[in-house]
Amino acid sequence: MAVVQEIKVPLLAVNDTTLTVVEINFANGAAVKAGDQLMVFETSKTTYEVVADASGFVQYFCEVGNDYEVNQVVAKVFELSTELEATHQPAKVNATAAPIVISPAMPAANAISWEGPTIFSDAAASLLAAAGADASLFKGRDFVSRADAEAVLGIQTASAASNGHAARPAPAPSKTVATPVVSNEKWVVEKLTSGKKREINYLADIQSTGLTSTINTLVETGGIFVHLNESLRYLKNSLLPLLVYETARLLKKYPVLNAYYTPEGIAFYKEVNVGFAIDIDKGLKVLRLPATNEKTLAAIEESILSLSEKYLDDKLQIEDLTDISFTITDLSAEAVHFFRPLVNTMNSAILGLSSIDEKLERCIISLSFDHRVTEGKQVALFLKELKTRLESYRADASYKTSSIACFKCFTTLAEDITDVGFAACIQPDGQPGYICQRCFKGF
Amino acid sequence: MDVEKLKLSHRHIKEALRIRKVEEKFLQLFSEGKLNGTVHTCVGQEFSAVAFAGQLKKKDFVFSNHRCHGHYIAFTGDTRGLLAELLGKASGTSGGIGSSQHLCNNNFFSNGIQGGIVPVAAGYALANKLRQNGAIGIVFIGDGTLGEGALYETMNIISKWEIPLLIVCENNFFAQSTPQHLNLAGDIRARAAAFGIKTFKSDTWNPELLMSEAREAIEYVRDETKPAFFLVDTYRLNAHSKGDDDRDPSIVSGYRAKDFLQVFENDSPSYYKIYQDAISEEIDHMVEEILQEKDLPLSAYYTPAEQLTNEHWTPIEPINKRQVELINRFFKEKIEEDPHTIFLGEDILSPYGGAFKVTKELSQLRPGQVFTTPISEAAITGISNGLALNGFKPFAEIMFGDFMTLAFDQIINHASKFHHMFNKKVNCPVVIRTPMGARRGYGPTHSQTLDKFLVGIDNVKTVAINTLINPAIIYAAVYKEQHPVLVIENKTDYGKKILQHTFKNFIYEQNQDAYPVVRIRPAVSKANISIVAYGGMADIVAAALEDLFIQTDLKPVLIVPSLISQLPVDLVAASAAETGRLLVIEEGTAYAGIGAELVAAVAEISKTHLQMKRIAALPVPIPSVKSLENMVLPDKASIISQIKQFFT
Repeated sequence: MAVVQEIKVPLLAVNDTTLTVVEINFANGAAVKAGDQLMVFETSKTTYEVVADASGFVQYFCEVGNDYEVNQVVAKVFELSTELEATHQPAKVNATAAPIVISPAMPAANAISWEGPTIFSDAAASLLAAAGADASLFKGRDFVSRADAEAVLGIQTASAASNGHAARPAPAPSKTVATPVVSNEKWVVEKLTSGKKREINYLADIQSTGLTSTINTLVETGGIFVHLNESLRYLKNSLLPLLVYETARLLKKYPVLNAYYTPEGIAFYKEVNVGFAIDIDKGLKVLRLPATNEKTLAAIEESILSLSEKYLDDKLQIEDLTDISFTITDLSAEAVHFFRPLVNTMNSAILGLSSIDEKLERCIISLSFDHRVTEGKQVALFLKELKTRLESYRADASYKTSSIACFKCFTTLAEDITDVGFAACIQPDGQPGYICQRCFKGF
Repeated sequence: MDVEKLKLSHRHIKEALRIRKVEEKFLQLFSEGKLNGTVHTCVGQEFSAVAFAGQLKKKDFVFSNHRCHGHYIAFTGDTRGLLAELLGKASGTSGGIGSSQHLCNNNFFSNGIQGGIVPVAAGYALANKLRQNGAIGIVFIGDGTLGEGALYETMNIISKWEIPLLIVCENNFFAQSTPQHLNLAGDIRARAAAFGIKTFKSDTWNPELLMSEAREAIEYVRDETKPAFFLVDTYRLNAHSKGDDDRDPSIVSGYRAKDFLQVFENDSPSYYKIYQDAISEEIDHMVEEILQEKDLPLSAYYTPAEQLTNEHWTPIEPINKRQVELINRFFKEKIEEDPHTIFLGEDILSPYGGAFKVTKELSQLRPGQVFTTPISEAAITGISNGLALNGFKPFAEIMFGDFMTLAFDQIINHASKFHHMFNKKVNCPVVIRTPMGARRGYGPTHSQTLDKFLVGIDNVKTVAINTLINPAIIYAAVYKEQHPVLVIENKTDYGKKILQHTFKNFIYEQNQDAYPVVRIRPAVSKANISIVAYGGMADIVAAALEDLFIQTDLKPVLIVPSLISQLPVDLVAASAAETGRLLVIEEGTAYAGIGAELVAAVAEISKTHLQMKRIAALPVPIPSVKSLENMVLPDKASIISQIKQFFT
């Protein structure tokens, strides 16, 4: 066999019909070994590396910085160097590639109806994302593993699955022409990255209707971190985890804010999956906190940290970036007085957190919303309730027993069974803390 | 009349002579190869048996040691049962199971473990005191037993609690082969006196005086309801056992000359001959008869029972109460309802109510049924064993699971053995509760999970409660048991409520066994990994199930047994046969652990190839420092990563 590997543009997410080639690792005609990284695509969400399946000689039909349609052949690996094709032109779409078509959901042998949520394993979720399959195919199932997903998608083997992308009819072939960088004495025009272009599309989707509005409210923050910092392990003095926590719980009460506009009507999300916007050198991304309303404050903090780490390490998975039902954007670290956030596509609202005014002990939270889905009155009620909830964390005379933990044994006052209470103390590191009676007095 | 009785009569001499002739017969039978095992004879010490065991009332009791034949004959008069026992026949007093050192008949008990019988006797005597039936007891020890700690733990308690028990120390100046001066420091009577126990002293060379002083001591214990300690100097004329005698023959022969039966033979040779001939003939006749008898068949001793786990599953409901409150509420109900329910342990009185508050307010409800104890795990457990033997239902609390090691002799050599070694004549329904487990930073000796040392003990059930099911259900079954039960609780579970965190996509159910198995399975899907965890680990694994699926792509079914000394092997094997994968997670270390047992048992009956794995703590003492403690123990993250590595 002459061609040992054919590299086509993969379909990694439903919305990405084109991908940008951001890296080519070999010169044309170079010898490659199995496992070598051949090239890297950039998607709207993350990057995707292609490695050689076998040894041979690589030939690219693409250039760095250009966008290519899904399923277009962008490189080949040949067995012999003599087989390299003469042309370096971008190849025509290989029409012989047999796309994998989703078969109708297999009727379950023991058709027990399940009306609860469907939980996808990571492996299943990434397969679905790669196949561009719709999660609704799996309605009525409690758990979906990779094998379940493969069965429904009609994929026979794991290797087929790793290749399998064309979840829908292959897109019509079209030429992708690189936008040349224009340069003269006065300015330089740099081509928009595919990521930025998609960002524009996402935000234009709702904002372009002109039917968005923003409401701001003031939150009194004096004393709010006295107890909160005891629950927070790393993000001390940050309102974000609490804001996510309380918002997620309120969204159940205000379903219109956990929804989005479609021409056929309002689509309400069944689950609350709050996303938080992040932009630290790796581009603006919104990361998903799954089932946010069921998470504890500590779990939310931990998820924020672990997702941020994955973001920085380029290890985000498709499911970290999809199915976000509501977005929170936090600019509080940047000395922002207040701002107007923009509603994302497939959302009806976005909440913005501005910086805390340390002198006045307050900060502004802003909610932009899609007026086609809801209206100012609802949003005002939501913000009022959110403000009340946030302000309830301010320190007063009574203490939350679950947030008071013995610094030695980590038992919380809520768990304590001695009915004596904890003593306030100075920890060995000089920080104020609490100690339970048992650690204090011994057994 | 009493004075009359006290005078040494020929009846007493004949009794002593009978004991000697039986012992000599045993030595003869042994040398003829007709006795299996060993004998420890009391030739030379017979009058101690006659004076003490022979002067008790029928309702009283005797606990004796390895050298117990004389005590047995003097107290029960059952020479035939003793002979048959040592000849290994079914008609023996313990069916041939116990032989020389393990006799049981009408309030007579003996066990060959030095020291361990003393707290058991104390518990038996405490039961009599609680019943106010006027019965007392004697426990015989030898001077060799003065080296055992359980004796001192018990002397402290019987003095403090005024338990009517007479400790008779038969001082024959040798511990097996070792002369006393090599091993014994200080004064013997001063040991008891230091605990405020009244002491007596006499010897076997003046039986008449011994008889009257023994009577005095017995009456003191009975009338004052107080313990006493009686030191009897005596001398063993034969070897410790059979041939192991390195004593200077000239010294032994000196004692032989002063032996009262020898003196009697010299003074009244004709009487001696008449008595001896009659007794010998009687014994010979009995032995001849017994030798024709049959041994106990195995089927009368042991019948294997097929264990079938109940397969009727019902949903479990959450309970908005902490585990500790539910246990405490059960105990409050029982202590009020059943005057035979007794609680013992360190610091268990209210208002403190035990280190983990499980026994809170019990002593306010029924002060007479709750005993706070000194730091004496062997005595706590031994006394509980004695109470259980004597018809009570004791719940002993060992403050930390780690301290179970200090109670181990009482569990293994006493509680576990009584029923079988006494040929099913008695039951010992003792309950010993203790919290195991780490994650509190208590470090190497207060955090261990020693469960694997507590399973596989004959006739002892080991039960571990969890946070998925009401502990009162399990304690109700424990309460009904007729044999010993060890209950493992968990420090971190006490403060948790029952079934508080459930996932929508799983079904939570229990079967109908007395010790229910909890099962958590996917609502609709077939599981493809079977996980077994119990006790404190069950809570952790149950909370990780959803993430476990998401991250490993395996649909888990979690099986949580509560009776860990008899794991639901059939159920687990059936589940593993369906899923193809079996994972056992425990907080103890893996080697020869619960997981090892379960995996082996499933492998034995499995017809298909299964992928099987154990997850357990690292094989090191548990560190106090939080970061290391977390790494040494299995937690959600390490479990998920090990599953990924091994199964996928």
